[in-house]
Amino acid sequence: MLTLNNITVQFGGLIALKGVTFTIRDEEVLGLVGPNGAGKTTLFNVISGLTRPTGGEAIFNKINILNSPMHKRARVGIGRTFQIPQPLQELTVRQNLQVAQRFGTGKVNQDKIEEILNFLHLEDKADRDAVSSLSLSELKALEVGKALATEPQLLLLDEVLAGLETASKRAFMKTLSELNSKYRISILIIEHDIETISNMCPRVCVLNYGQIIADGTPKEVFSDPEVIKSYTGGAHD
Amino acid sequence: MSALILQSLYSGLLTGGYYALIALGLALVFSTVKIINLAHGEMVLLAAYMAYVMENSFATNPVVAMPLALVIASLIAVIIYFLISRIKKHRELNSLILTYGIGIILTNAILITWSADIHSTSNEAMQKPITIGPFSSMTSELIFLGVSMLMVAALWWWLTRSWYGRAVRAVSSNRDAAKLMGINPQNTELVAFIVAGILASFAGVALYCTGVIQPSLGTALTTKAFIITVLAGIGSIPGVLIGSVLIGVAESLTVTLYSSAIQELTGMVLFLLVLFVLPNGLFGQTRRRG
Amino acid sequence: MKLRHSIPIILVVLYGVVPLLLQHNNYIMSILVASLTIAGIALAWSLLGNLGGMVSFGHAAFFGVGSYTSAILTMKMGVPVFPAILFGGIGAAIASIAVLPALRLAGPYFALAILAYANIFRILATEFTSLTGGAGGLLGIPLFPELFGFNFGSKLGSYLIITSIVLIFAVIYRMIRTSYHGFALLAMIEGEDSTRVVGVNSTFLKAMMLFLSAFMTGIIGAFNAHYINFLEPDYAFSGVWTMIPIVAAIFGGYRTLTGPIIGAIVVYTVDQLIFKALIPSGHQIILGALLTLMILFAPDGLIPLFSKKLSWARRVKENRSPQTGHIC
Repeated sequence: MLTLNNITVQFGGLIALKGVTFTIRDEEVLGLVGPNGAGKTTLFNVISGLTRPTGGEAIFNKINILNSPMHKRARVGIGRTFQIPQPLQELTVRQNLQVAQRFGTGKVNQDKIEEILNFLHLEDKADRDAVSSLSLSELKALEVGKALATEPQLLLLDEVLAGLETASKRAFMKTLSELNSKYRISILIIEHDIETISNMCPRVCVLNYGQIIADGTPKEVFSDPEVIKSYTGGAHD
Repeated sequence: MSALILQSLYSGLLTGGYYALIALGLALVFSTVKIINLAHGEMVLLAAYMAYVMENSFATNPVVAMPLALVIASLIAVIIYFLISRIKKHRELNSLILTYGIGIILTNAILITWSADIHSTSNEAMQKPITIGPFSSMTSELIFLGVSMLMVAALWWWLTRSWYGRAVRAVSSNRDAAKLMGINPQNTELVAFIVAGILASFAGVALYCTGVIQPSLGTALTTKAFIITVLAGIGSIPGVLIGSVLIGVAESLTVTLYSSAIQELTGMVLFLLVLFVLPNGLFGQTRRRG
Repeated sequence: MKLRHSIPIILVVLYGVVPLLLQHNNYIMSILVASLTIAGIALAWSLLGNLGGMVSFGHAAFFGVGSYTSAILTMKMGVPVFPAILFGGIGAAIASIAVLPALRLAGPYFALAILAYANIFRILATEFTSLTGGAGGLLGIPLFPELFGFNFGSKLGSYLIITSIVLIFAVIYRMIRTSYHGFALLAMIEGEDSTRVVGVNSTFLKAMMLFLSAFMTGIIGAFNAHYINFLEPDYAFSGVWTMIPIVAAIFGGYRTLTGPIIGAIVVYTVDQLIFKALIPSGHQIILGALLTLMILFAPDGLIPLFSKKLSWARRVKENRSPQTGHIC
């Protein structure tokens, strides 16, 4: 579904991504891990359109998406959550979803909105102001909800579990694990928690210093000496 | 024909000289406080009227008005600073509207106090034409070109050598880092405003001695100062000087080659050109995208 | 919204009571027409601010372009007045294309870029003498015609026209505001990326709001040209057409629909009747002071401030506790 070929991102003297190449298939769940600063969020930014790569290509369902602006990519099926939730201001939870659905798919289907609200356990807060009345885990749920409302084929989840305490985390993980089976979408998920990744993702890619250093099953990847070194020893400034 | 052009260039240079005086204050505040003081032109104009009052009521050389102009302009600058610091939400846009309102107050205050009549210096020493080689100008224009150069040099020295000056530069480029270094941004902003007031007072007296003044000039002055600031790019003092001369020369050439009516147009068009083609101005350092 | 209940009353007052009682008082009618003209611009300005997220200091540009477009079309090309007014709006919208590149600029730059355009158009209008009559201006611009036996060129006719225009604008504003596009526009103000990532073409929407605001202001300008029957560059592009709507909108509360309209009527009327009498030359100083004070103490406008105080008082009286569940 999505093929990245030799993606390179350079900010002035800093090389954030170097020659990143991989493919994610339909309905595949792929974990993306790596130490802080490895370039994971930058990769998401490239795929969703926030950042223009300095080199390489990205083909999504046979379309070269690097030529498309951000909103077009959302409409053809790339959904994305932000690490720090960015709910749509001045709107209620329900309106957040409605806007996402209206502009991500072209029309509004109230039943599907209800479904998303229920799936993410946001029904009670549906008509409350999104910015001021939600807890952190609810805001994160809304992030996922907005992306889901656009009816994506590929969902990019950026550290959705970060900052949540254990109970919320577990509940959320359960929701996330149903995403793939219920909505039949590919998911690319950035997470720090190795246990979570190992449980959720049959395949993991490891990013270090902007390059992919491992790509395989969690077992393979986390026993790879290169990977272990990157997490423990690798000279980080 | 070419003699005409040369004279035109010369005039433009002189004009650009004291345009710089007008623009520097606005540019300084903008780079430090990140706010455009839409009442800046009115501050300059008020200083100019002080010169008028001195000459008219006390029959002195308008330059004698300097101390008075300094006090008045700085006072207004400080008041504007305090009002702006009272704004809590949407600082950038609300300050725009606030200074817009203050500009209206000042323009109309000038109108009420001195009526809409046009004034200009009648001091002979100022008006006397002075010729250097093939070029001629008013004595005042030459004097204030010199003053402008001096002020630019003084400002440059202050920004690079004095503590407050360097604090201003620090806050301009990175406010948070400046705080970490022990600089109080609020005090620094106040200083920037006061310096802007000082510059404005010189600019006002220069204006009175070299041109004509009337109440409606306030807005035009602010606009011109802003155009030059954008042309120069944020955070560049020499840029303001060069930008001022550029505008001065461009306007002068327009008057010579076309007509004086579209003189204002030149500045505007240059401004829009720079805005869209060179987002950082000629010498700017920071990105300006919203 | 309590507005819904008062709509029939408002219509009756505007189209029935006012004409009946005041139609022979030329002076008051003039003030009403002028204040409604300001109201129209204030509404268009607020639209751009609220839904487009852009504060403009140069709406006089659109006003002037609309005025001249309509005047020239009727005088030089024989276009009937009402269609010409529409074209006036379209002309202003087309003129706003020149402002499009400024959309991607930060707030202050946009506000002043538009100011530059206002000045440019004024100078152009002064220079293109053959087309615009130059500095001398255009005299004898056609009045509103007679339709269905009613002379719209009369004071009452002008009043009915401008009232209708403002009402239509209000309806359009409300329609957009409560649509999904309106939601997206509101969300865009705090950050466009959060909307883009869900498929909103934010640049396009902002451009649409710019065109709409320009179009509306252009129509008001065109109306004014045929009402006053005279135009000259300094008048058509005067900063007054920018300033008073801003004061009106801020005074009445530019976030609401009725705010700019009520603000305009109040501010203009008080300025003409009271301030002008106090300080014949320079009375706008009071408007400047008003604007300054409001930004400092009531940036959302005085009317919302009053209604907030009223509803707070009401709640205290009824002993209702504040809404629960808000994370403050």
